[in-house]
Amino acid sequence: MTTYGAVSGVEYRKWLMAVALGLLYIFLYAPIAYVIYASFSEDIVWPFPPSLTLQAYANVFNDSLYGDALINSLKIGVGSGVLSTLIATAAVIGLLRYPSRYRTALFIVFLSPLFVAELLIGISSLAFNARILGLSGNIFSAIAANAVEGVAFSFLIILSQLVRYDWQMDDAAMVFGAKPLRCFWEVTLPTIWPSVFGAFLISFILAFNNLEISFYNLGAIPTLPSVAWGSLRFGLGPELFAIAAMTNALVFTIFALMYVLMRTGIVKFGYRGT
Amino acid sequence: MGEGPVSLSLRGISKRFGQVKAVDGIDLSVGQDEFLSLLGPSGSGKTTLLRIIAGLELPDRGTVVVGGQDVTRQPPYRRKIGMVFQNFLLFPHKTVAENIIFPLRMQRASREECVERLGWALNLLKLKGLEARYPNQLSGGQQQRVSLARGLISRPTLLLLDEPLANLDRELRAEMEVEIRRYQKELRIPFIYVTHNQEEALTMSDRIAVMRNGVFEQIAPRVEVYQKPATAFVASFVGQSNHLLGKVMQCAAGQLVIDWKGRELTVPCNETLGAGEAVRFMIKHEDVQLRAMGRASRDQAAFNRLKGKLRDIIFKGQTANFILEIDNGCELIASGSLRDTDVRAGDSVLVEWPQTAGVCFRDKP
Repeated sequence: MTTYGAVSGVEYRKWLMAVALGLLYIFLYAPIAYVIYASFSEDIVWPFPPSLTLQAYANVFNDSLYGDALINSLKIGVGSGVLSTLIATAAVIGLLRYPSRYRTALFIVFLSPLFVAELLIGISSLAFNARILGLSGNIFSAIAANAVEGVAFSFLIILSQLVRYDWQMDDAAMVFGAKPLRCFWEVTLPTIWPSVFGAFLISFILAFNNLEISFYNLGAIPTLPSVAWGSLRFGLGPELFAIAAMTNALVFTIFALMYVLMRTGIVKFGYRGT
Repeated sequence: MGEGPVSLSLRGISKRFGQVKAVDGIDLSVGQDEFLSLLGPSGSGKTTLLRIIAGLELPDRGTVVVGGQDVTRQPPYRRKIGMVFQNFLLFPHKTVAENIIFPLRMQRASREECVERLGWALNLLKLKGLEARYPNQLSGGQQQRVSLARGLISRPTLLLLDEPLANLDRELRAEMEVEIRRYQKELRIPFIYVTHNQEEALTMSDRIAVMRNGVFEQIAPRVEVYQKPATAFVASFVGQSNHLLGKVMQCAAGQLVIDWKGRELTVPCNETLGAGEAVRFMIKHEDVQLRAMGRASRDQAAFNRLKGKLRDIIFKGQTANFILEIDNGCELIASGSLRDTDVRAGDSVLVEWPQTAGVCFRDKP
């Protein structure tokens, strides 16, 4: 048996780690838990002792502003997500399949939006659309402007998987009678779809959450971030808490669903390597 | 040339990559039921040639005719050629059955035909019971069989094989060599087999085309390539040879007399050579015989004979290599069965070979 001091040293360290980990989790999740809890409270300024109500949710669903904002945000998110993923996939395939001495320069062109502030993308696309093209801001220009950033992120994500893709697989498919498009659907996409899907999710979330780019291109048309930002001027409303809670619930449900699908083997998120 | 109609003919095929001539003016005809190997070291252009036949590369010049049709400008998916790849290239997300019927599906074959052909292929390649597996659940040999089944299922006019056995272990390779040749003979589809392994080429082929720097050094039946190499390169690439560097002393009546480090040898003459020219004489290990000193010798005139010492015996199983130190200070290797000799390392021996054996070419620096 070791001495009392040594045992207590090991124990002490274990406890210290556990406490540190617990504090980290509290730091990360307490605000989210608080928001969810507060969204059900009557008094959101000091929601103790608990007295629960669904009033905040009723307000959200009764006020058409929030509904419009949600729909606009979804439109921008999905539109920009699809556009970014399509452009990025085509760009990566083109750059990897057809060697060019300008390859490095082209890579930089696709990635450069990552280094430009969102605010700048918003202002410059507004200025360009209004002054040069004479277009007023609308949801399509917001989708396009958000896709500028989305393409750069999607490009990185898809590139990271496609660099490992064996293009001879396409040669094989073509020798066996598959035309190029068929070849993409039958062989390339089923192999790389996790990264394509990932790229869509990221560019969707970026555009869905974006305030600056969308705001400059939309003006008075509401999106969730712009409504939340606008209402901040009148203090923290209970409706914001409800929206935050619902967004969290949605994300949680999606991940829970993916987890169940994966565990039961209905869907396989990942590459079946040889 | 194989009998019957010609399945593939290449005329003046050339392909450059930058400054490198990968394929340089190749002419080739392959018969209906022929097994042809393209044998060459890496970088000889054999894989490029195969990819040109498949349509995966466009030639700079020349025509490709498959089954009587000029397909030079046709994309690969219109050529009806089967192919087996070095790293199998099975589609990882498809099952064995889905992989095998892929070519049929691309040709819009009916469901009944797919089922019937799949049964045929599973039977031929002994893959029954593995239909539902994924490629990553198969052994290397099984993956290669699936790859072969996929290549053969749609009755291609031609099957191209690109080093298909390179990733298999030695034992499996030997087994597959025999099987692949059997499939070719049974199905009567021409096979074009690319390899850098001379044993594979010798085991399986009807004809062998030895390739170097984008041209054929020799194209001939396998035994002829082995026994009568057309160039020094073929002689050194196919089989295991001793290389003897010497000078021509005289050249007459199809025979050369050369001086090899102070020893006089009579060797066959393969090209016109003048006295004093530097030559490289190559003789296969198994053509060199050794006998213990003092044994009765054969007809003096028809043999080259040298005195030497047996330095070591390298046992290789079926055969052994005898390392011989000739009395002019050079080393030769003879190979043969251990059973036939009673010599030991350190013994003085007589080394001999028929004057008609081996080949001799001008030695290019």
